[in-house]
Amino acid sequence: MQTKMSRTTRGLLIATLALSASVLLAACGSDLGGGGNDGDVTTAEATGTVGGELVISQWPFYIDRKTVPEFEQDAGVEVNYIEDVNDNNEIFAKLRPDLQNGESADRSIIVVTDWMAKKMYDLGYLQNLDKDAIPAVDENLVDSLASPSIDPDRSYTVPWQSGMTGLVVNTAEAPDVTSINDIFDPKYKGKVTVLTELRDTVPLVMKADGVDPTKATTQEWLDAINKLNDAVKSGQIRKLTGNDYTDDLARGDAVVTIGWSGDAIQLQADNSDINFVMPDTGCILWSDNMVIPVGAPNPDAAYAFMDYVYDPANQSQIAQYNSYITPVKGVQDIFQKDAPDLAESELIFPTDEFTGDCTTQTDPPADGEQEVEDAWQQLISGG
Amino acid sequence: MSGAWRWVREHAVMGFGIVAVAYTLIPILVIAIFSFNDPKGKFNFTWEGFTLDHWENAFGIPELTEALGLSLQLAALSTIVATSIGTLLAIGLVRYQFKGRRLANLLIVIPMATPEVVLGASLLSMFVFIGVDRGFNTLWVAHIMFSISFVVVVVRSRLIGFDRSLEEAARDLGATAWTTFRTITLPLLAPGLAAAAMLAFALSLDDFVISNFNSGTTVTFPLFIFGASQRGIPVEVNVLATMLFIVTAIAMGFTVWQQARAEKLAATRPDDDDVDTGLSALVSGQRPVAGEPS
Amino acid sequence: MKRRRFTPYALMSPGLLWLLVFFAVPMFFMAIVALEEGNIDTGFTLTYQWSNFSDALSSFDTQFLRSFRFSIIATLLCLLIAYPLAYAIAFKAGRWKNLMLFAVVAPFFTTYLIRTLAWQTILTDDGQIADVARFFGFIPEGGKLLDTDFSVIMGITYNFLPFMVLPIYASLEQLDGRLIEAAKDLYSSSRSAFLKVTLPLTAPGIIAGTLLTFIPAFGDYVNATFLGGPNQAMIGNVIQDQFLRTQNYPTASALSFMVMAVILVIVMIYIKFAGSESLMGEEVAP
Repeated sequence: MQTKMSRTTRGLLIATLALSASVLLAACGSDLGGGGNDGDVTTAEATGTVGGELVISQWPFYIDRKTVPEFEQDAGVEVNYIEDVNDNNEIFAKLRPDLQNGESADRSIIVVTDWMAKKMYDLGYLQNLDKDAIPAVDENLVDSLASPSIDPDRSYTVPWQSGMTGLVVNTAEAPDVTSINDIFDPKYKGKVTVLTELRDTVPLVMKADGVDPTKATTQEWLDAINKLNDAVKSGQIRKLTGNDYTDDLARGDAVVTIGWSGDAIQLQADNSDINFVMPDTGCILWSDNMVIPVGAPNPDAAYAFMDYVYDPANQSQIAQYNSYITPVKGVQDIFQKDAPDLAESELIFPTDEFTGDCTTQTDPPADGEQEVEDAWQQLISGG
Repeated sequence: MSGAWRWVREHAVMGFGIVAVAYTLIPILVIAIFSFNDPKGKFNFTWEGFTLDHWENAFGIPELTEALGLSLQLAALSTIVATSIGTLLAIGLVRYQFKGRRLANLLIVIPMATPEVVLGASLLSMFVFIGVDRGFNTLWVAHIMFSISFVVVVVRSRLIGFDRSLEEAARDLGATAWTTFRTITLPLLAPGLAAAAMLAFALSLDDFVISNFNSGTTVTFPLFIFGASQRGIPVEVNVLATMLFIVTAIAMGFTVWQQARAEKLAATRPDDDDVDTGLSALVSGQRPVAGEPS
Repeated sequence: MKRRRFTPYALMSPGLLWLLVFFAVPMFFMAIVALEEGNIDTGFTLTYQWSNFSDALSSFDTQFLRSFRFSIIATLLCLLIAYPLAYAIAFKAGRWKNLMLFAVVAPFFTTYLIRTLAWQTILTDDGQIADVARFFGFIPEGGKLLDTDFSVIMGITYNFLPFMVLPIYASLEQLDGRLIEAAKDLYSSSRSAFLKVTLPLTAPGIIAGTLLTFIPAFGDYVNATFLGGPNQAMIGNVIQDQFLRTQNYPTASALSFMVMAVILVIVMIYIKFAGSESLMGEEVAP
């Protein structure tokens, strides 16, 4: 006759055994963190034969409907164009487990913003590019993007598009918005959204208060975050968004947002009052880059794609659709003929005057980066 | 008490019921209505015009159709496996004496008490640790896992109310255990199995959280929608969702109708005028009860 | 004779094994991760850092409390809506019974995400519902219904209503009508009959429904994601974020365990209150 006591004891014993077994297993090596290769960065060598499948991870709204099918025909490659990049940190977290193991989760091209590209490169998750395989890129890359600080020799990045972070506004509902500080105007309470991207939102707020983001101290970053936090708590700022600020603008739930220059044109189809407004203290300039991850299964097709979109004729098709700053020379000339009203667009071909006060996207100071990231994280989670 | 007031009191509960039912149906109506919308831009938030284009072209977005197909495959696979092993588990649990009953019960019940976010995250931790690629395989493994508990609960409630006398009669007449199971038990259990299978199918098709953590590059129907919500949900999504709704409704109606027929045939109490049939019997999992309170 | 002894184990082993390998074992892995230290860039090591739990709790106490608040309110709302609804279906619906039940279960047939997103369209600032709310003064002139506590709670209530309705309905259905009639004969008003007889008899259904609603509601994050802003972020949002964005696995795992702890405590109270038979089902002797 078994007593209750011995049954409980037996249960506990089994549980303890199981737990110890797992602990032993775990002690053999926890693979959840840690960097990638400590060794040299490999170069993705082109073999010359182009074919097979090409998997690309890309931001949404970045390409028209025709370019990919046309490329597939032209190169004999089957493209799986996945628009799953909504936030640099999210895609990094998603791909990291594979990248750590030297695998690319099937992708041969990933498109991430400058700072994330550098972060991934420093962790050994990316490969160097075989420049011989992408002659068009070398030839046609605009001079202003030839040598960025994150990759002076352009050894691992090929810009996809450049863009400006500023104000995207419903100018019918909010006609006198000119400054970032307008997002704190009580007139627009509850109708304001800002981006979850730390390196877009906070520097803009700092600039509006006269602080130069490239020289800002950790404390100045934290002060800006506090200012934003107060606005979130009071309900002034409705939401922090990735790409989905466009939803709120289209629905009319937001009228003043921090957003990206190219989206405004595309949104006009849904709501013709939506416009990009350059803040009086300037915008944030950034580039999204095509990179080849470690373990990429088809670098040849990747190079073919990169080269293809750097042909000015192909690029003009993309540029007409997404209205971001095009990194390819010769596109403006094509626009003069094919799309004259866009040829003078400040969004696609910004003049130096237009972007005079803009700052290139920058990181928080290295020693305060963790603190800033934590503070930002708390803000996003409504803590 | 005035006649009008009495009328209100008598019908208050039912009136409330109707309002509540309307409440549950509003979003479904909205989804269906907007499947006929004709938006100029990317977003499907304001009504801009009626069109049948998206219904004609329902499968026109390859990534969406692929995601739906994948979800259906996943759900089918998960349903078949989960219902089978869950039913076996329920039978063992209800009809036999054995050691470790409490532990078994715990193992079955705790997953239902665990938030999906925890289920998904812990599975991800394990897969990453072992070094398994996340994709279709990790998905169906996860889906079966969370479906088993629900299957067990549904089938078990059916088993508990089960009238063993029919089985005993069959055994007395000389049938083997297997024949009895096949010809008596299983058919009588069928409505419960059908309910469990439908539940497992719905759970799998609908799953977002656990799939979000464990899908790798694979895109299921809910995951496609999540991604699309960032960039404008195409009208075709509404169309497919409405289609799914209609198909599932028909399937459920059919199952219920089948069960109603079976119950009427199997009603062993001849003085039972109000045999509780259809959906309600399925839901309550009980044999017909005598009478209703007035 | 020997076959009979092994039969239950044979029947149960596929199911139990599956649950063991894909539920129990991952939980152990997560337990270990919860005690680790480090960050995603430099790696994690097992140092039995129990402070992960207290740190996580203090960093995210706001979201914990908020999740409690939202899920308790939503559960109560579900109960208030579900009981009369179930009662109407069970006793007042007559030939509409099956149709009404179908309507209750219907939301399950549309994807969770889509029906939550539909509420975005319904509650939008420029929509009719918001206009009506402003007209009646429920919200101020420039106010909004979406991205508020209200919209998130309402989303949770809507999405988990069937979980409350079905168990209550099932226990109402099982009521012996003669008891109700007897009660009505004994008590002068049908209200007393209801309160003293019907309600207590349906207690198991209420308890089951409450649990089935509260538990997923507490850990939910989908409603808060689509229908709320940062001020509505629930603990589920934090866990998802910590796992999938900031990759702070130890904190995320510690938070997950604490969520489970809260839920298990509540379930245990229920078991004590109602007896484990109602949870596990009767054990039928062969």
